[in-house]
Formats: sequence, structure tokens, C-alpha cells
Amino acid sequence: MVKKRLGLREGIGLLVLFVLAVIGAAAIFQRLQKGLAVTALTSNVPWGMWVAYYIYCIGLSAGSFLLSTVIYVFGMTRFEKMGRMALLSALFALCAGMTFIWIDLGHPFRFYKIFTGWQRSSVLAWESLFYLFYIAAICLELWLLMRCDLDRLANRSTGWKKVFYRCLALRWRCPETPEGQEACHAQSLRWVKAIGIIGIPIAIGVHGGTGAIFAVVAAKPYWFSGLFPIIFLVSALLSGTGLMLALYAGFGRRDEDYEPIVAGLRDFLAIFIVIDLLLFFSDTLVGYYGAIPDHVEILHAIMFGDFWYVFWIGQIGLAWLLPLLITSLPMTRRNYFWLGTAGWMVVIGIIAVRLNIVIPAYLYPQLPGLDKIFVHPRLAYSYFPSLIEWTSSIGVFAAVGLVFIAACRLLPLYELTEEEGR
Amino acid sequence: MPELEEERRRFFEAAMAAAGATFLGALPSRAAAIPRESVAGVLDAPEPLAEGSILERMRADLNRALTKPIEQRRWVMVIDLNKCVGCHACTVSCIAENVLPPGVLYRPVTETELGEYPNVRKRYLPRPCMHCENPPCVPPCPTGATYKRSDGIVAIDYDQCIGCRYCVTSCPYGARTFDWGEYYESGTPRISEYETRPSPEYGEDRRRLPNEPNRSPKGNARKCQFCLHRISVGMLPACVTTCIGGATYFGDGNDPESLVSELIGSLKTSRLKEDLGTHPQVYYLV
Repeated sequence: MVKKRLGLREGIGLLVLFVLAVIGAAAIFQRLQKGLAVTALTSNVPWGMWVAYYIYCIGLSAGSFLLSTVIYVFGMTRFEKMGRMALLSALFALCAGMTFIWIDLGHPFRFYKIFTGWQRSSVLAWESLFYLFYIAAICLELWLLMRCDLDRLANRSTGWKKVFYRCLALRWRCPETPEGQEACHAQSLRWVKAIGIIGIPIAIGVHGGTGAIFAVVAAKPYWFSGLFPIIFLVSALLSGTGLMLALYAGFGRRDEDYEPIVAGLRDFLAIFIVIDLLLFFSDTLVGYYGAIPDHVEILHAIMFGDFWYVFWIGQIGLAWLLPLLITSLPMTRRNYFWLGTAGWMVVIGIIAVRLNIVIPAYLYPQLPGLDKIFVHPRLAYSYFPSLIEWTSSIGVFAAVGLVFIAACRLLPLYELTEEEGR
Repeated sequence: MPELEEERRRFFEAAMAAAGATFLGALPSRAAAIPRESVAGVLDAPEPLAEGSILERMRADLNRALTKPIEQRRWVMVIDLNKCVGCHACTVSCIAENVLPPGVLYRPVTETELGEYPNVRKRYLPRPCMHCENPPCVPPCPTGATYKRSDGIVAIDYDQCIGCRYCVTSCPYGARTFDWGEYYESGTPRISEYETRPSPEYGEDRRRLPNEPNRSPKGNARKCQFCLHRISVGMLPACVTTCIGGATYFGDGNDPESLVSELIGSLKTSRLKEDLGTHPQVYYLV
């Protein structure tokens, strides 16, 4: 990101984010104090908005990470300038996802029991392990890529910034000589490649596995398909690419690499939309043709139920059709504003995809008549998020956005140029 | 623990005596706990159950099973749908027995209508936990908080449960519900004692107090455990003793002499969603 003083508009934007983050923090505090009674969840719709945002954030993270491996593992060096940004957004999206699933637990402070009471039959337990490896891989890659630049920034900074950069560099000292620096750089890239190679199966495990959390539930025919984890992965790649396109088209450094990177991201986006659509149609049509009531009723609820607009506007419109049009029509496909917009559309549209994965699966009673036994909100087969769920969710996104913006301004997102201290 | 058990039993028996329930004899220590004279002035003491009554037989089956090592028992419930009249007494007694809050339900009875007038019928289907031989709710638990005991009961360790609700999602019968930490009197000035008295579940006597919103079993998944605390002392589950139609049977499926073993040998038995391979331990006579 270009370093400059904040203008009025940016200032107002940051202030709004800050206020939202504070409100979100207050909501999370309420939730921790009062338990899950503050949600609108029911015993029959036990997973709601927070779980949808959890898988959404994990998807954004895995998508961004896999995109970075394109550079560091598969050697598509023309994308190199967005590599650090991709890894950084992978890290922050993962943190957001972990926050969402943490506040969703009935006993948040017992989360460590997943590791102390290890249950190897649980997909969720394996996922938690995957998240640990994954976060380690991202942090290690970021450190390797930035350590020399962090060292240089520490050398020419003063005060708290010097301490900050020195700490982040883990006291790494880059050699003084140009040959030494060259060797250091090459060594970093070798290591990043190695970690990236290990990271690919981990990232696939992280998001395909998150899909498997749902896909293995035989009790929910809507989820129970081998295609489900793959759909998760493809829509993760789609949302990750959308995020990178939105960020890079909007805030990327306008140098000679800007145009090819944005064009490359645009083509990736179009390809992922097409594959995502293909998989979606395959899975949906097979489910529809199967005519099993538990499955068809849910598909009907998605398309024609109370929240039809989440599907038609969010999923079909924002996540798929509009960005596909923007990336393919001649008048918009070279326009950076429109491409950035397409990126944001996907980023928002995939939220609809995630909501439609989690919530509708619960709208059909497990046995006929179970929905009519009791009239009590906690036994309902319907769900609309409560105020605390909304405010805490918006707050988490705002807070992570703020930290991400701060990180982008403070950290060396691009290799430092000569005049910047190289 | 024994005092509380005794106190709880007395409470239950007093409630039963007040209702003038004819099946009081099924309770083992009634005579010892409440002297006949004290009841005589208010109510005629119920006649002891006749020899060969079904409840007596099931209680004998139960006590016989308790003499065996735990891994040789296999608790089985049989529900005769032709005898169920849809009174919901089992649902209510289960809520009273386990002190269940709103949103938590172990044994609902579904009502569905079959046919068209004039050939129309209501079908009532009580749905406890199926205590599946191959329970879909156990493997997903990330912490091992839910487990299958060697006598076949699927139980929950409330202190190990992190409240992720993966098991609630995984149960194809909807037999698991979540404790949201609420009360029937939430939003009113007072939470009555009947909502905060200790629940005998798992013999742990946990109390749900309003000033402790994050203490188990609040924030946990909860489910039917065949009244483990009752059967371990030779009492039938609450839903069995309260069933006015005598539609619910309970006993040891591994004991060929037991009533439930006789019943599940019938051609009329079926189990719910057998195609999922869960092998429920709750059989229905249809």
C-alpha cells in the first residue's frame, strides 16, 4: 500500500470501523457473560450466523493462501508483488474465523479440551489440529519473506517502531553485502517454497476438511455428498481470489506489475466462478432429482423460502453472475474500478453461499411432527440472527479490517526499493 | 449423595401418592419412606400391584440385570404405538425428573395424522434417545465428552463438553437438545425453586442457578440417558412408570427371560431410520 498521510475520507472510514469494532467488542462481552442465550439459535437450528461466518473466513483464508502458493511453489513470478498481501489476508481471515467459532462454543474457555481430550474420530478435532499447522505455516512464510525488509526497517526507524520491527524480525539480521542479501533472499524463497509445498495439503485439509465437517453428517442429506468438500474448496478459491482482486485493484501499488496482476486475478476469478457454478449445479440437480423430502424441501426453502433473496441476489447475482459478466464483457474487463467491484461482489456474495450452506439444512424436522410438538422459540425450526449476533459479527469484521489496514501500512508488503532503504 | 437420592425419591413418591397412581407398587421403597397411616387419612393407600403385573415384571428384570457385570447388560426400550394415547405424561415426567429447562427436551411425543375422514387416525410417537448401537453423535464429538457406555447408554460428560453442538447436528432423530441457560420464568421477577433444584442426572445433582450462566449443564448438549440415576438403583425410567397406557417397556435386551427380549422378538417391531445403520436400542411395536 502506498504510504501517505490519511485524508478526510480515509479518516472517517477508519473511525466508522473503529466504532463498529467497539460495539462488536461490547456484544462479545455480553455473549461471554450471559452465555448463548443472547443468540437466536434454537435446539433445532443449533448452528447459525457465527458458524456461517466461521466457514466463510476459513474459506477466504485458504483461498488467499492457495493463491500465494501459485507464486512461491508454482513459480508464477508475475504475481510476486501480491504474495505478501495474500499471506497477510490469509492470516487475518483465519484469525477472524477462529474468533467466530470461539464465541460460538457453549463453553468458550474449554476450547483447549479439543487437544487434551483428543478424539481421533472427530473431523472437528482434526480440523483444529490442521488450523494450528496452517497458522504456523502462514506465519513462518510471512516471516521468511519479510525478515530482511523488517531488519532494514528496524535499522532506519526510531522509537517504538524500531522495537516493533525488531520483534517481528525475531532479531534477524540481514547480511550487509549485496551478495549476502541476494543469498539470503534466495534462501528465503527456497524455504517458502518448501513450506508452501507442505502448506498446500494443509490448506486443502483446512478448507476441504471444514467442508467435511458438514459433508460427513449423514443425518443431513443436503450436506451428505462427496462433492461438498470440493465445493467448499472451489468457493474458497473463488472468495480468496475475489478478495485479492478487490484489494489489489483498489490499493495495489501502481507500477509496471499492476496491470498483469489484476488481469491474472480477473482470469482466475472467472475460471473459479465457472467451476463453482458447475459443481453447484451438479450437486443441486442430483439432490433435486433424488426427490428425498429432507433434501428437496431444503432446496426449496433456499430458492423460494423466506430468505429467497440470499440465494437469488447474494449467491446467484453477487457471487456468480455479475462478477462473471464484469470479468468477461469488453467494456468492463479492463476497467480497474469495475474489476475491484467484481472482487468485492464475490467477497460479499460468498457470505450468502455460506449462510445458505449452514442454516437451511436445519429447517426440515428430523422426524415428521417434531416441529409441531412445542411452541417455544428454542425449539423452533426457524432462525433469524439476534442483535448480539449481528453486532458481534460486524464488529469482528471491522476489528480484523482495522488490524489488517494497520498491518498493511506498517509492514513491508512489497520488497523495499533502493530509496526505501535497500 | 445417598441422602439426596433418598430425598429425591421421597419427593417423587409423594407426588405419585397424591396422584393416586395405581402403579405405585413399582417403586421399591415406598412403604419404608411413607408410613401407611400418614396417607390413610387423606387417601386410600393404593393396592400393591397384583402378582404378574407388567411393571413388577420389568422391575424384576431390571434388578436381575443389575446383578450382572455392566458390560453384559444391554438396556432396551420398547414402545407399543397401539397403546400410546398421546397423553404426554412421559414428556412431562421426564422434564420433572431431570429438571429440564426450556429448549431442552428428552422425550417428546410427535403427533401425526394419517388418512382422510372418515378413515382418519392420529399416530403418537414417543421419541426418547435411541441409544444407537452405532451412534452418529459420538464420533463427531471433538473432546470425547459424549460416549457410549458398555451397557449401551449414550452419555455426556458435562464438564468435558465444550458446547460445539456438532452432536446435536449429527443426530438423525433430533434427540439432542442444547441448554441455552434459560428458565421458564426468564424475564419475570423471580426464578422459582422448582427450576433451580438439583437435577439427579448421572447422579451428579447439578443445580442451574440464575447467577451462573456459564456453568454446566448450561452451555452443554443434553439428552435422554434412560434415567441412568434411577436404573442404577433398581428403579424403572420415569417415562416407563408414568405411562398411563402401559405403552413403554424397559429392560435388558441381553437377558432372554426379560419382557423386552420377548417383545422385540415379535414380527411387529420396527426401528426408526434403520437404513442409516444406527441400530437403535429403542424398538417400536406397530
